[in-house]
Amino acid sequence: MSYFRQVDLDVAFPPFATFLEHLGFVPNLFRAQTLLPRLIEAEAGIVDTVIFSTRALSRIQKEQILLALAARNRNTYIATVRYQMLRLLGVPEQTIDQIMDDYRQADLSPADRALVDFTVKLGMRGTSVSWTDVTRLFEYGFDDSSALEAVLVTALGNFLCTLSTGLGAVPDFKPRPLIPSGQWLLPDVEAARDSTGGGAHPRTVERLPDEFAPFAFLRDSFGFVPNIYRAQMLRPDVVAAEAEMIRAVLLPEDLLTRVQKEFILLAVSAANWNTYCVAVHSGVLAVVGVSSVVSDLVATDHRHAALPERDHELLDFALKLIREPEGFGRPNVDALRQYGFSEEQILEAVAMASLANFLNTLQMGLGVTPDFTPRRTFQPPSNKAYLLADVTRPTDESPVVDPDRELVSRVQSGDTDTFEELMNRHSRRVYRTLLGVLGDPEEARDAMQDTFLKAFQHLSGFQGRSSFSTWLVSIASNTGLQRLRERKPAESLDEAGPDSEDGFRPRQVQSWTDNPEQLYSKAEMRALVENGVMRLPAKYRVVLVLRDLEQMSTEETAAALGLGISALKARILRGRLMLREALAPHFAARTKEVTT
Amino acid sequence: MISCADFMADLASYMDGDAAEDIRLQIEAHLAHCQTCQVVLDSTRKTLSVVTESGSFELPEAAFKPVAEKVMAKIRGQR
Repeated sequence: MSYFRQVDLDVAFPPFATFLEHLGFVPNLFRAQTLLPRLIEAEAGIVDTVIFSTRALSRIQKEQILLALAARNRNTYIATVRYQMLRLLGVPEQTIDQIMDDYRQADLSPADRALVDFTVKLGMRGTSVSWTDVTRLFEYGFDDSSALEAVLVTALGNFLCTLSTGLGAVPDFKPRPLIPSGQWLLPDVEAARDSTGGGAHPRTVERLPDEFAPFAFLRDSFGFVPNIYRAQMLRPDVVAAEAEMIRAVLLPEDLLTRVQKEFILLAVSAANWNTYCVAVHSGVLAVVGVSSVVSDLVATDHRHAALPERDHELLDFALKLIREPEGFGRPNVDALRQYGFSEEQILEAVAMASLANFLNTLQMGLGVTPDFTPRRTFQPPSNKAYLLADVTRPTDESPVVDPDRELVSRVQSGDTDTFEELMNRHSRRVYRTLLGVLGDPEEARDAMQDTFLKAFQHLSGFQGRSSFSTWLVSIASNTGLQRLRERKPAESLDEAGPDSEDGFRPRQVQSWTDNPEQLYSKAEMRALVENGVMRLPAKYRVVLVLRDLEQMSTEETAAALGLGISALKARILRGRLMLREALAPHFAARTKEVTT
Repeated sequence: MISCADFMADLASYMDGDAAEDIRLQIEAHLAHCQTCQVVLDSTRKTLSVVTESGSFELPEAAFKPVAEKVMAKIRGQR
């Protein structure tokens, strides 16, 4: 029922039991991979956490996304399964037909329509997803968890489409024909202009590898925990399933080699214009001894890299599967067989290309930034095949000369004692950050220890994209926030209330004396400022402390707190204005004689 | 002519010196005749300089030393 030989597995094979329980049958897609049960196990884990387990989005919403996406991908196999699922879930056939033909004509609620709009855009034209698309989701009441799930379902949809094409799985039910693609309009496309890259940037939870086994596994496999996994910690169960996927597909060396599979990942990611995955996996390849010159060539045009002919064939196979799924077929599989690849190896290649497509879609949907400075950025050209000219993705930042670079690399290469010097240099900045967030000197001192320990443990993953100091401040701020949430669930840096000045009316409008600092002693001044600052709400307090006391630049402060520049500026001004109100009675020209 | 609310909306950029030229001119025209906004601008600038020069929230050496010692002990214990 596919291009691959099938062997009988025990009915008690757990993934099959999962499919029987949730679907009532075992799809041919998975039966086609019985030669390599480890693939089926890992895939069932992802399907179970992303589709079957119901958290933020309903099962119907997920199936609608998968059907719309499969129809747009012109994937008969996946569309047929999803069609049946929606029928079983009680959705009227007319609605399902409409979703399949053109979901925009279907009888969906405005929220569901927005959800499908977002996911189709992400799935079909991931590079075009912009912050505007994400905001639209939030406007319809979806929260961070739903946005994360929407991204995950889309990534899984692309994974399943690539997998079914590569395996040649025969539909499990009589397929309803897809309408010819010419009748569709492409999704409405707006270029992403947000310099932070499109993507949902969902809230996440920081965990250390030592506290969370999948992170420890990823760190051991890649040398660090890539941001793409850190960004999904609202769903640790999914991250665990993804780690299992890496373990089952990418790491084994018994069939294809790890390097061959990393090459597939590179070539597919570049074909999908995914700067992030290319940067991360070039970095990973460098660790296993593949030079950046070779990685770059594999990504851009593998035929120019000095590889054995059969490796070129392998990459052509993967690229055909991604770029021209409709033209992909049994001859492509046979071609690899002629080059001596076994059925199991070809199965692995299909799974690897599918996993690459999954990771690419996931990254574009989450908008995570590279862990390594990319040597190259990939952008779709402006031609008819890709309607999206002028798409900005996260790009290389101008190199910053970081005064801590030398010390950092000494610690990274094992000179643990040098960490003490780094702590000394930054103790005040870390303390002030924590104080800004927490508003309590004693607690701030207490949280310093946590902050430095976390920094030390994560230091192997620090790649110098920002300065060490900015990076450290962001760890301090997250550590503080975590404590703040535990202590006072109500207070956070994102509390409601506009940052704009529209509603802010200055109340103290007497002029100030010309030299306020001469009115009080140094100690009195410090006390006045400290009292005033401590009374500010946390979100203004922390920006004021970092920007005005610690004198970090606007850009650094924004980066460390994960805020946009304009949001940060609005908060600084608001903080200064509120502090001005608090200080005014002490400095008004009328209350004291000017003593010049 | 801009209002006091408009002035407040553009104050951040104006104080940072990165307001567009036309905005800057409008703000200065407003300031020329609005006593209240003059006071707000002047006192906000003074607030900033008071904060910057106050040396607030210093971390005493004595408070940091035990923290550094504990961290280094844990780090060395891990290796």
